[in-house]
Amino acid sequence: MEVISTNLIARKRIKYFGKGSEFALIYFKNIILTLITFGLYYPWAKVEMLNYHYQSTELDNSRFQFHATGIEVFKGFIKIYVIFILLYGFLIYALQTRNETFLLSAFGIFYLFFLLIIPFAIHGAIRYRSSRSSWKGIHFKYLGDRMEFFWLFIKGFFLTIITLGFYGAWFQIDIRKYIFSHLRFGDLSFNFKGKGGDLFWINVKFILLFYITLGIYSFWYYKNLMQFYVDNTEINQNGKPVHFRFTMKTGDVFELLVVNFLLILFTLGIATPWVAVRTFKFLFRFIEIEGNFDTNTIQQVSHDDYDDAAGDDFLDFLDFDLL
Amino acid sequence: MSFKVNYFDGKSSKTQKATVSPNSLGWKITYVNDIGNQINISWDINAIKKSEVYTKGFVSFTYGKFFPFQKIESNNTSFIDYINNSHQKNLTNKVDTFLHGSLKKSLLILLFILVSIGSGVYFYAIPTVATSFVKNLSKKNVIDFGDYVFSILSTDLEINDDASKHLQNFVDVLKIDAVFPIKTYVVESKQLNAFALSGGKIVVYSNLLKKIENEAQLTALIAHEISHIENRHVLKNVARNLSGAIFISALFGDVSGVTAVMADNAHMFSQLSYTRDLEKEADVFGLKVMKKNAIDQNGMPQLFKILKKESLIDVPTFLSNHPMLKDRILYSQKIADKQTNIVENKLLKEKWKILKASLIQTPQKESTND
Repeated sequence: MEVISTNLIARKRIKYFGKGSEFALIYFKNIILTLITFGLYYPWAKVEMLNYHYQSTELDNSRFQFHATGIEVFKGFIKIYVIFILLYGFLIYALQTRNETFLLSAFGIFYLFFLLIIPFAIHGAIRYRSSRSSWKGIHFKYLGDRMEFFWLFIKGFFLTIITLGFYGAWFQIDIRKYIFSHLRFGDLSFNFKGKGGDLFWINVKFILLFYITLGIYSFWYYKNLMQFYVDNTEINQNGKPVHFRFTMKTGDVFELLVVNFLLILFTLGIATPWVAVRTFKFLFRFIEIEGNFDTNTIQQVSHDDYDDAAGDDFLDFLDFDLL
Repeated sequence: MSFKVNYFDGKSSKTQKATVSPNSLGWKITYVNDIGNQINISWDINAIKKSEVYTKGFVSFTYGKFFPFQKIESNNTSFIDYINNSHQKNLTNKVDTFLHGSLKKSLLILLFILVSIGSGVYFYAIPTVATSFVKNLSKKNVIDFGDYVFSILSTDLEINDDASKHLQNFVDVLKIDAVFPIKTYVVESKQLNAFALSGGKIVVYSNLLKKIENEAQLTALIAHEISHIENRHVLKNVARNLSGAIFISALFGDVSGVTAVMADNAHMFSQLSYTRDLEKEADVFGLKVMKKNAIDQNGMPQLFKILKKESLIDVPTFLSNHPMLKDRILYSQKIADKQTNIVENKLLKEKWKILKASLIQTPQKESTND
């Protein structure tokens, strides 16, 4: 009995204090500014909105903080735009020559370049986001090696293609394991212990049951997937693991997604900021941090001041969000 | 004056229960550390950084030139009031405080501005810019674009060279004063259709030619298509459609799949209404060409009647890219009734007969399009 009660005391929850109307104001303000500046304001808009979510998220009576600046993100976008303009310029040039062999190889180069740039973008994005995220004054830090990650990604990508997608689940887990094992929060490290096989079966079950249940199985799938990711994540503090637990039930998933859908539908999208806030509030309610997680003894270890947002911007371009 | 805050030194995650005493030059932060010693820290007022975003009932500040920073967090209401009333620029953002002060009013105003800008851009700026862009394109560019599209399309078209030549002879008799060189193609097909490509190419399906009964009806068809070419309708349509679609997807793309689909459909409907306007413009322009050539304008309503007879259902106007044939018959008939200058054009009639004879007479029934 003693053990259970200490466990209950030690259990911590992330709380989200954001308010729909407050975020809506920030959201609409930033959309307007982005529109009237023909998109130039977007980096600052993105930073302020992310910053709002960080600052509204609390663990153990302290809020998270996002330190990115509009100018860093803007510089990143310039780099990405230059790459895109060169790539598309090359493609348009190839189109105009009307030489089929040249055109085909140009398309090949175009997509190959895209593929090769993705692992670098992921690496840069994680390093940037980590460097710019803090809690209680302690920063995250990503220690992954760029080339090591690149080869891991390329290997996984080609294995996935050769196996007609079957390797996809293992590929995803390899990437996740690599990222988590190289992520630090002060002197804490992370670990992802999920297995490719488990993710594979979650996906297989989804494919099999989706059509039979006319799509209703999606709610179970969402829950299973979230649970797989959260439950398999752990923090290492002083050599001891601290576990996460995802306690959402399928009914909750249903409530979250259906209400979100209806809100967006009946307000023609105006409810978007309210839906974002609602989703964060909802999700964090079901994430528990177990064990004796000591939030007062984490030490800052040399900070990685990485200000290149290009990777983050590239993923943004592809509509791929890290969160 | 002092306030309760949480202080973090940037080295450890330990929350220090501190008090901050601000004055015009700086902040004095005091706390007692683990071994009972009082620690005093002073922050220079100009180097204090406020977190850039507004969240009600919470403020945070960082201090230092390099990462990692020292940090203060507080949800103490008197401290927040003090900050909100401060005149120190780096501590408070007056615009945000004002906007969030009357939240509902600000939200309504922002929504109003957003909707106004959005609809202004979509309904006014984009169509104007797109149309004027097309108008200002050089003749060569327009022809090149049409040639490019034709080079793709023509691989699937079975062109009847003989009939194409005769149709071209027919068109050459007409007085058109076209900017673009008109080139006609007859394509073997069971469909009842004809279309124009930007830059001067007109494609008419053989089955439609077989259904046409006289030179006036054919002139109506050709004049309608020439209008599309002369007024650069295809390019105007493409430019408007594309730029509108890009704007819509930029605005709604990030929101969610549902809204994006709804917005896309709304855009499609508004685009259909635009193409209907272009079709009507082409009809009216066609009637003018007929009048100029002293050809019986009744050919236009007659042509529509043939199409109507052949099509099984007349699609309601709002769902179609063409006005309803019933409406087109009415308004073209109205104009034709006022015509007084009909003169029989013997050369045109002769060319029409040669063309008609060149087509193999095999009547077929299929759906109509134009």
